[in-house]
Amino acid sequence: MTRWTMIADLRRCVGCQTCTAACKHANATPPGVQWRRVLDIEVGEYPEVKRAFVPVGCQHCDDPPCMHVCPTTATRKRADGIVTIDYDLCIGCAYCAVACPYQARYKTQRATFAYGKPAAHETKRHDPDRLAVATKCTFCVDRIDAGLATGKTPGVDPEATPACVNSCIAQALTFGDLDDPDSNVSKLLEGNQHFRMHEELGTGPNFHYLWDKALPTGGIPALERLVEEAMELA
Amino acid sequence: MSSAAAKRVPTYCYQCVAGPDLLTVKVEDGVATEVEPNFCAAAIHPGGGKVCVKAYGLVQKTYHPARVLTPMLRTNPRKGRNEDPGFVPISWDDAFTLIAGKLNAIRAEGLLNESGYPRVAATFGGGGTPQSYMGTFPAFLSAWGPVDMGFGSGQGVKCYHSEHLYGEFWHRAFIVAPDTPRTDYLISCGANVEASGGVVGVWRHANARVRGMKRVQVEPHLSITGACSAEWVPIKPKTDAAFLFALMHVLVHDAPRERLDLPFLVKRTASPYLVGPNGYYLRDRTSRKPLVWDRARGAAVPFDAAGMDEALEGRYEADAIEIGPDDAVLADGRLPGATAFTLTVEHLRPYTPEWAERVCEVPAARIRRIANEYLDHARVGETIEIDGATLPYRPVAVSLGKTVNNGWGGYECCWARTMLAALVGALEVPGGTIGTTVRLNRPQNDRLKSVKAGPDGFMAYPLNPTDKERWSPKPNIRNAYKTMIPLAADGPWSQALGPTHFSWMFLDETPKGLPQVTPPDVWFVYRTNPAISFWDTASVQQKMARFPFVVAFAFTRDETNHFADVLLPDAVDLESLQLIRIGGTKFVEQFWNHQGFALRQPVVASQGEARDFTDVASELAERCGLTREYVAAINRGVACVPLKGLGWSVELDTSRTHTRDAIWDAVCKAASAELTDGRELHGLDWWKAQGLMTNPFSQLDWYLLPTLVEQGLRFELPYQERLKRVGAELGARLHEHDMRWWDRQLEEYRALPAWKDFPGLWDDALREQGGEPADFPFWMLTARSMQYAWGGNVGMQMIREVSRNIAGHRGVIVNGATARRLGIADGDEIELATPHRSTRGSAVIREGIRPDTLLAIGQFDHWATPYAKDFGLASLNTLATMSLGLTDATGSGADVVRVSLRRVGGPRKERR
Amino acid sequence: MTYGPTPWVQRHWDLRAATNFVAGGAGAGLVVVSVVSGARGVPAAIALLAGLALVGVGLLAVWLEIGRPLRALNVFLNPRTSWMSREGIAAVVLGALAPLAAWLHATGSAAAPSTGALAALAALAFAYCQGRILRASKGIPAWRSTATPTLIVVTSLAEGAGLWWLAAPWHAQGTRAGITLFGLLLVARLVAWLVHRRTIVRHARASAALAPAGAVLAFGGTFAPLVLVAVAAVSASEGWVLGLAALAGALALATGAVYKTALVVRGAYNQGFAIPRMPVRGTPT
Repeated sequence: MTRWTMIADLRRCVGCQTCTAACKHANATPPGVQWRRVLDIEVGEYPEVKRAFVPVGCQHCDDPPCMHVCPTTATRKRADGIVTIDYDLCIGCAYCAVACPYQARYKTQRATFAYGKPAAHETKRHDPDRLAVATKCTFCVDRIDAGLATGKTPGVDPEATPACVNSCIAQALTFGDLDDPDSNVSKLLEGNQHFRMHEELGTGPNFHYLWDKALPTGGIPALERLVEEAMELA
Repeated sequence: MSSAAAKRVPTYCYQCVAGPDLLTVKVEDGVATEVEPNFCAAAIHPGGGKVCVKAYGLVQKTYHPARVLTPMLRTNPRKGRNEDPGFVPISWDDAFTLIAGKLNAIRAEGLLNESGYPRVAATFGGGGTPQSYMGTFPAFLSAWGPVDMGFGSGQGVKCYHSEHLYGEFWHRAFIVAPDTPRTDYLISCGANVEASGGVVGVWRHANARVRGMKRVQVEPHLSITGACSAEWVPIKPKTDAAFLFALMHVLVHDAPRERLDLPFLVKRTASPYLVGPNGYYLRDRTSRKPLVWDRARGAAVPFDAAGMDEALEGRYEADAIEIGPDDAVLADGRLPGATAFTLTVEHLRPYTPEWAERVCEVPAARIRRIANEYLDHARVGETIEIDGATLPYRPVAVSLGKTVNNGWGGYECCWARTMLAALVGALEVPGGTIGTTVRLNRPQNDRLKSVKAGPDGFMAYPLNPTDKERWSPKPNIRNAYKTMIPLAADGPWSQALGPTHFSWMFLDETPKGLPQVTPPDVWFVYRTNPAISFWDTASVQQKMARFPFVVAFAFTRDETNHFADVLLPDAVDLESLQLIRIGGTKFVEQFWNHQGFALRQPVVASQGEARDFTDVASELAERCGLTREYVAAINRGVACVPLKGLGWSVELDTSRTHTRDAIWDAVCKAASAELTDGRELHGLDWWKAQGLMTNPFSQLDWYLLPTLVEQGLRFELPYQERLKRVGAELGARLHEHDMRWWDRQLEEYRALPAWKDFPGLWDDALREQGGEPADFPFWMLTARSMQYAWGGNVGMQMIREVSRNIAGHRGVIVNGATARRLGIADGDEIELATPHRSTRGSAVIREGIRPDTLLAIGQFDHWATPYAKDFGLASLNTLATMSLGLTDATGSGADVVRVSLRRVGGPRKERR
Repeated sequence: MTYGPTPWVQRHWDLRAATNFVAGGAGAGLVVVSVVSGARGVPAAIALLAGLALVGVGLLAVWLEIGRPLRALNVFLNPRTSWMSREGIAAVVLGALAPLAAWLHATGSAAAPSTGALAALAALAFAYCQGRILRASKGIPAWRSTATPTLIVVTSLAEGAGLWWLAAPWHAQGTRAGITLFGLLLVARLVAWLVHRRTIVRHARASAALAPAGAVLAFGGTFAPLVLVAVAAVSASEGWVLGLAALAGALALATGAVYKTALVVRGAYNQGFAIPRMPVRGTPT
């Protein structure tokens, strides 16, 4: 089996928004719609302050609430884990948008352009099917499928890799198959400490965040995480 | 939605000084739709063939609805911010006729005005990046003759000015960088590499972080770089020199001496040189070479004597002469001398961490720990093999950022930083503090070849003369760099490295002794907006309104071309053609393993009547009767590369004009020939398909030390005898002409830089403006925005959209406790004011900033640029005044203003 | 809209969606309460039709909110997992049964009570679906609480009862048992609200945003009508009983509407973004 997974290395990310911009290019999303975005998060009080840059977007959950709530079956999950939206079925009720704990979904009611009237590139790429329906990160599913069809490996060959990953200038984003123990993503998770966001909600996000290298003794991080989770639940 | 007609076109992005980077643009049915990295270049580009967020704005730039797409003529003769220029479209022919008419009138009258200044001036912004977009225009300027390129648009205040001059002086480092791939410990004083280091800077530092490099960010606010560092040290603004001096104090007074790199200090610096009673080197009477104390002989010998054992420390008596300014022999006979190192150690004695704590508000224990960590990581004595050669390995570095290394205190910081490297032998070696490229020395494209033996065992440096015979009170251009700033040298970049605000300041009142400064007859402006990006923007605007004839290459209307007489629409980034050099070592952190050339090509047809810069240059040359000189300049290599080499020539016929493609076809062939020793002559079509061509570049060439060793040279450290002499001579020259307005700056020429109350200078400045320092308790700072810096992309909707994800792009960052105290909530409109000016914007409440500091990222406050004029952001530039008092001896000022802060409408009642 | 660790209010569902919960909930409650109260004849028919109409108003409001109204029928495609599909189906069933039961009541048919009971079941299912719709919204802590379905159902019933008693002066079918039931529903609603409030107390912004509407619900929508109902229950005068009960009904209805609207549009904070660990950049101090 295949399970496409995104990894964001928070040690690397500098919040430059290159991935945000690359996503907007690759997917021709209208102003204000950012399927990939990077948050600028600050915690603590002066002078004990930390600041982190956190890429977010659709987490392509194992158990996606957006899919369960969708009344039209427009939102589905592929065998490879990618959560998709059928724009022809979607009625634009936005139920999925409120069901998503990651604020990953957008609905653009009217055609909007950067400067009001559409410029040449916007006219070229405007897709009326995406108006008034739910949209979100697709993991650049078209690239993945086209790449696989020509024997490319997503996450390795740029032609088959999501645009955000391709664009990242800090090598903070990595994409690959989590079910393959030898894949880039499996190895990264193995060699580093990581977490998933809002994991307590049980959605099984396929978006992992690296925050430190693995501790020398293998069991400890896992134990630490368990304790943390227990504390969070409490 | 890929179209059958889709193709990907390779090109380059050099919007910021941290470039160039490589990209491809997807073109569908003749429309540029998508920017992507150049994956084919991943193997040779040190940032994986990627481009940063700015490059993604280029599609919107191409199709921007507010683009100027025909030449425009001003119809309102009155110029002013509130005057509608009344631009009307004209033909290119009419535009050329008008401009050439003005230019030819100048040629008839004389290229210099009555003051001796060039009648034609040109301003290009962005740290030299416009040159990668202006085709053969430099060849036109070269053909023209003297041009004043010293009207600043940010230079000196928005750049690493002191670093440029001192860095290049001490180690051929116009920009100084850590050897990030090998550094283990980096002290970064305000260097915001994650925002301004470009793709390669971000790439290298991300790798280093994951590898375990510890970076300590010393900065008043928690910048992007601070965020990505292991430790943030919130320091009081403009006190970095105190912090750095205290680090040095710990190294030379607390640490055992043998922990320093003593062989490096002895052999590769001037530490053993004996300094005489008047502060100048003791010299051999006949050879006039500086003396060192040879412990083997028990006598003073010239620094380059064979088989000696120099004493690093101590005081010795020697039979010598001491030569001061203007070759004056100050002393002769048995003279007492102390080694430069000993004087340095004594000089640093008072600068204890405890002293520094009182100045910079960083705990002494923390300073001491950082100094010791630096020392612990330095691996003094270890070596590393690079491309077959064994070099010292010193994985510690210190980097300095804007505002730290410009303005007062810049000299002190640069000296301390370079000395911190020298003390542990980490200067210009793997892992250490190294230079990127040269801009004042020649050749610009080969840093190592620029190393030539100079006086006293040091590298030669083209200081502007200060001796009686050659110094002149009549500068070649208005900012007087040649007269006032010896370190600025006299190359093509020197004009922009002088005190470029003087060109503007002196229009009101030229100080005593300099010829009267008047506006240029013709001013060309391209890819810069000094009416927004410089100090004191209101007065810059008033002054440019007095310029009689301004030709602005215009993308859209903006605050500078609002005052223009003619707007010319140049073909923008994705529409025009040019070949540039890539690779080798370039600023900010571009260290390549390859070097060669890359082509920028028309990805799509030009919009409207936008015209390629090369066509404009060729036409202007022809209409000014300069075709021969213009083509000759191209042949010489002004357009990237000489068109003739050993055994090959693609030189163009100087008797006639050439098409754009013909010119660049020849340049492309010459570039191929240069890379293949003349074996291959690939033309434009080949380059359009390939996009780039490179040869390997050895990593060994990242480091200057082997070259110095090879030539038997020393770094001119720690003692600045030459600068002391130059300063004294300059002072003498100025005083001979009764020019005393530069006296404060002359004090900076000290052999050993000392701490001065740098923050206090801003108190003085406030008082001069009639303000009381206590009423303006906040330090307003600015920082680069990666999304905007140098990009000229303030009108791009997408850039604005994505940049707003980063704190500070919506307003002024205010400390949480400060905001609570003043009744300010996030998003409130606030006013920042100086005694005479104010600027407004929204408050962005964050914890990552000192309570006495306010941060306004970027440079905004636009009022004419479409889209940007509606931002409503506060700008430091609106408040900063051009001030002689805040100008340092290198002619630069720091990007800092002292302000008051209040919530518009009064404090909120409830305290949040 | 700000994106960051601080939660913000969802903007996808506005007053139109709230209208579905307010009107649809009260309508469904009216159907249930009228049937449970043993209403008969024309008043029963009108209650059924009015309840259905309110459900219709709610659905119309939602129809006005969805992006692709012409594809609205796709809403029925996912009854397998989507409570919105199920809500739609319950509404259709109610739409078939309620008029039928109304007609049977109007004609005095003996089948009226049993058909009415079926309609009430459909209405109850509708209200339950509404509760589950919110419960399944994992992005909104105030909605996804385990206590939400009970709160929504009980609120709907209380509002339906309020509506029934508001109309009591006209239909004159109120009974003392019915008024006791009304009182019990108000108490149940208060309890459901308190339980719900406890489950979301950790989400400070949502709790704070819902507090005023909660207070309105507690005082104006529970204590005040309970006093009125108690007075009515012991009152000897029929007119007083009906008047006070009507007033209590109006209060129960209005405060329920206020609370549900607040729940959908004001208290609908998401949980923002949170990272349990800050990244370690380089070797830490």
